[in-house]
Amino acid sequence: MTSDTPAGRRLRVFNRRRSAPSRARRRFGAAVRMVAALALAGGVYTAFAPGALAEDNRPLSAAAQEGKALFDNSCISCHGRNAEGVEGRGPTLIGVGSASVEFQVGTGRMPMTRQEAQAERKTPQFNQDQVKQLGQYVQEIGGGPQLPSGSLTEDLKQNPEALARGGELFRINCTSCHSFGGAGGALSSGKYAPSLHGATEQEIYAAMLTGPQNMPVFGDNEITPEQKREIITYVTQQLQQDKDPGGLFNLGRYGPVTEGLAIFLVGITLLVFAALWIAGKS
Amino acid sequence: MTVTKDDQHGSGRKPVDLSDPRLSRFEIVKEGARRDDIEIVTYESQFAGPNTKAEKRVERAIALLFLLAGLLGLVFLVAYIWWPWEFELGHTNSDYYTPILGISLGLALLAVGFGILSWAKKLLPHEVSIQDRHEAMSTDEDRQITGQTALFMVDELGVQRRPLLRGAVLLGLAPLGLVAAAPLVGGLIKSPHKPDRGEKSPMFNTGFNADLNEGKPVRLTREDGTGVRPEDVSVGGQITVFPGIPGGATNEFADSPTLLIHLRAGDAEVARKAAESDERNKGAMWGNYVAFSKICTHAGCPASLYEQQTNRLLCPCHQSQFLITENARPIFGPASRRLPMLPITVDAEGFLVAASDYRETIGPDFWERP
Amino acid sequence: MKRRKFDLASVPGKTAKGVDERLQVATPLRGLLNKVFPDHWSFLLGEIALFSFIVLLLSGVFLTLFFDPSMKEVAYEGAYPALRGTEMSAAYESSLRLSFEVRGGLFMRQMHHWAALLFMASIVVHMARVFFTGAFRKPREANWAIGIALFLLGFLAGFTGYSLPDDGLSGTGLRIASAIMLSIPVVGTWLSASIFGGEFPGELIIGRFYIAHVLLIPGGLLALISVHLGLVFKQKHTQWPGPGRTNSNVVGERMFPRYALKQGGFFMTVFGVICLLAGLFQINPIWLFGPYRASEVSSASQPDWYVMFMDGLVRLMPAWQIDIPIGDGYVIPPLFWPAVVGLGALTTVPMFYPWIEARRTKDYRSHHILQRPRDAPERTGLGAMAFTFFVIATLSGGNDVIADKFHISLNAMTWAGRIGLVILPPLAYYLAVRICLGLQQHDREVLAHGAETGIIKRLPNGQFVEVHQPLGPVDDHGHPLPLDYAGWVVPKKMNRLGALAPAVKGFFFPVEKPVEAPVSPAVPPVAGRDQREEITSGR
Repeated sequence: MTSDTPAGRRLRVFNRRRSAPSRARRRFGAAVRMVAALALAGGVYTAFAPGALAEDNRPLSAAAQEGKALFDNSCISCHGRNAEGVEGRGPTLIGVGSASVEFQVGTGRMPMTRQEAQAERKTPQFNQDQVKQLGQYVQEIGGGPQLPSGSLTEDLKQNPEALARGGELFRINCTSCHSFGGAGGALSSGKYAPSLHGATEQEIYAAMLTGPQNMPVFGDNEITPEQKREIITYVTQQLQQDKDPGGLFNLGRYGPVTEGLAIFLVGITLLVFAALWIAGKS
Repeated sequence: MTVTKDDQHGSGRKPVDLSDPRLSRFEIVKEGARRDDIEIVTYESQFAGPNTKAEKRVERAIALLFLLAGLLGLVFLVAYIWWPWEFELGHTNSDYYTPILGISLGLALLAVGFGILSWAKKLLPHEVSIQDRHEAMSTDEDRQITGQTALFMVDELGVQRRPLLRGAVLLGLAPLGLVAAAPLVGGLIKSPHKPDRGEKSPMFNTGFNADLNEGKPVRLTREDGTGVRPEDVSVGGQITVFPGIPGGATNEFADSPTLLIHLRAGDAEVARKAAESDERNKGAMWGNYVAFSKICTHAGCPASLYEQQTNRLLCPCHQSQFLITENARPIFGPASRRLPMLPITVDAEGFLVAASDYRETIGPDFWERP
Repeated sequence: MKRRKFDLASVPGKTAKGVDERLQVATPLRGLLNKVFPDHWSFLLGEIALFSFIVLLLSGVFLTLFFDPSMKEVAYEGAYPALRGTEMSAAYESSLRLSFEVRGGLFMRQMHHWAALLFMASIVVHMARVFFTGAFRKPREANWAIGIALFLLGFLAGFTGYSLPDDGLSGTGLRIASAIMLSIPVVGTWLSASIFGGEFPGELIIGRFYIAHVLLIPGGLLALISVHLGLVFKQKHTQWPGPGRTNSNVVGERMFPRYALKQGGFFMTVFGVICLLAGLFQINPIWLFGPYRASEVSSASQPDWYVMFMDGLVRLMPAWQIDIPIGDGYVIPPLFWPAVVGLGALTTVPMFYPWIEARRTKDYRSHHILQRPRDAPERTGLGAMAFTFFVIATLSGGNDVIADKFHISLNAMTWAGRIGLVILPPLAYYLAVRICLGLQQHDREVLAHGAETGIIKRLPNGQFVEVHQPLGPVDDHGHPLPLDYAGWVVPKKMNRLGALAPAVKGFFFPVEKPVEAPVSPAVPPVAGRDQREEITSGR
């Protein structure tokens, strides 16, 4: 909506420039706040503009209004007005829910810098509050899955079996793409399943719930919220926090590829040097 | 250390009289070597004289290496006995048990190795010896004798002259030879087509065969045996299902794991069109749900990397890719055959069931697959 | 009764005499102790394989004390919490127990696995040395063939060992092995059913692989290694050309004392490196793979590195299926070609290479002097070709990990492998042959004209020539007399003794400025360059 006005267009340019990742975060925050204020002004303008009001007359909560302002600045060019999608650029966000927004924006995957096989994890452009506001906006206009409140892991002291159950579920549902150690893996034609080592509880939960990019959706009927928490427990406690018992280095848990590399780079190299020394003239 | 420079060449010299008491030990060794056609050309100490400073220094370094090895060995023992070793979750001291064992023992052995090597390289005299190869073949006479002896043996047995014996030996020993092989071959050999459950050969039969379920259609179940309802799988979701019979999710039915996918409406339309225009997959879809065998037709790995936007299914072992919306035909990689489709429907209680067993053969390809 | 005085010093002598009276060993033992071995670092590569085999036997025996090769289903109740309560085979359960509940068990398991990888790696490196130096020529053809058989046996030992823990990765490997058997025309299904005792996976395979892994294959390895070493002993080691070295002698060190000591030290070094690897790098964390289930798989499922070339070929194989329209129709699946024909050809054809080469070059003499790779360009080219093929196939066996970690499209990796496998080996052949010829040429030039010195001289007629340092005697004009090539390293760097000092020190930047004029009377003027004597004149 703002983007249709000359002021909005200018704002977008302004925002893109200011949000270059090299900028320090606090300066960026200030800029975003200013942008938000200006966008709000733009919003007020469109609210008074005739015709624009007709489609959506549901009242948005305060947080959602903040989110809408952010959306209209950063997301609208691909996801379209009212998140209805733009053919060939970005899908509609109606029905994806706040969980999806929090995953995509919270991990920096959205906004994308360019169209490519898969959106990559990068430094998020928005802070946590802004992510929540964006999520709230998308939730209010389209509905969809939401992250539950409260802890997303099981307490192993009270429920020690959760770890093994989570491991079992992880092997059935997750290892085929994310690999046995959570290191990630390749998919077809340049797509990939990301590593889970940097993923937070919220991100894992949201990813299962919403199926971002090419990941299948694991709805609450298929994997219950309790089972999801067990999987997250396994990923965080076993794969992320447990130090590997078999050595100082785990070779990235990539399996036999790195092991084979190590035997040549370390084993054979060391021993060839030893052989050179042994046979050399003293 | 003896400092010797051998300047006498030629092997035509008289043998040394070993009973000569003036002979040094080294001269006896040299004489022994000579008898084995070895000429010790150089055997000289690496040091200018006995007990030089340089030699002492090397000795000290080697001694240090051995002492270091002993110390590291003790470190190994102490760690082996007293370091906490039982597995604990998280980042604990027990995670360093294996590294400490490896590093202490590894360095101890390396110290011993370098100690021995330094001893050999730095302390022992430098040596150049020349040994003759005995490439000369046996003499013609020897070869003749050996050959004639072998032929003589054959002659004496008279196999040539005694055809009856020859035939009898052949006829008698051939079956005995087979007897030796029979238990191994006979015990191991097993028909792949012997029906073990149901009536068909197990090669063409999975756990979804209704015969295994008293003729009733077999339910699609989770790994814990609970049934799956259509609403359990979200749009764009997938679930691995097993035949709902006893042991259906175990490796006893290693051919049965199936991937149930809930397609998006648009994709489902494409998939339905493809399935309906195919003779074998006609009517196999139910609603927007499709079920394909998870066992790759290439090498049998579970092809389970489902990409919900491109509707491709990737096998992680050899990267075969199957396009779900086109009857799971292979579109990349070494697989040459599409994934078989399981005909599904919903029973009276609302659970997904297999309308029939697979209509195509499951798993990796083989010679007699029809 | 008076006791005879015990003479300690005479005990060894008496014992030795007693032994010789009964066994007559002194003479053969003398011959055994007196053996000359040539000394070169590349002759120690095979020893790495031998020593890691010893480590394999030692650590393997330890593991058998705790391993239970049974596929009976049990529920795990051990020390590793993330699998407690999980149903698994007794084999997997005992593998977990020996990793977590046997003191030092994990260390031993890792040592065994690393030693296995090192065993195979050193076999390949040793084989390359033998090939590129022509050490396989008559009379050592049989030992070359035995070496290839050892690789194949090691391959089988490795694969059976990889399968024993019955974790997710093992089972996936077994499934592929079963598929490879199934792909064999006519007898495939029968072979698979016979080996697995019915339909995959059955309940017998771990037990059968166990006896193969701990008895049959190590027995074969032990027998072949003994013959291999026996032949080296009997035929005596080859040697590089050099002063005093001929085709009919061996120049080096006697076995005792120095050579044997060095071998002992090297064994300790190999053992130590394996221990370090086992302590520093985690290998095959079976607890993360979980028990094998036919429905579960991990991405990046690969065999160990020495099987990866076969897996790579399988991945690169296009989907060419051969249908035979007789009766109900028969099929030869694409898997058959790389996995059965490919593996069979790659492990048997090289066995015959010594005879093939002898026939081609019509060279049926015995050779005990090694050739430098450059002196046999065709063989080196062929080796480079085979090596390139092996490396591309092996890399393709891990192409999904490479694709993922370097952000390359997986499909592009597959295509790169397919094209590379066809184009790069011939290219490697061509390059290797050209490089060999170039190096030969350079050797001959140096022998003919002397080593290049980098010193440029201007002749009275204004012509510039480079000064060459002769390697041997010179003729009346100071020109070097051409020398014959001796098959060994030709010194190519000038001998600085007596040569002019470089005008300016430093490689990229002058670390000192060329002196232009005396700075002070205390420093004498730099002697003019023409006052120094030249080392020699060039052409």
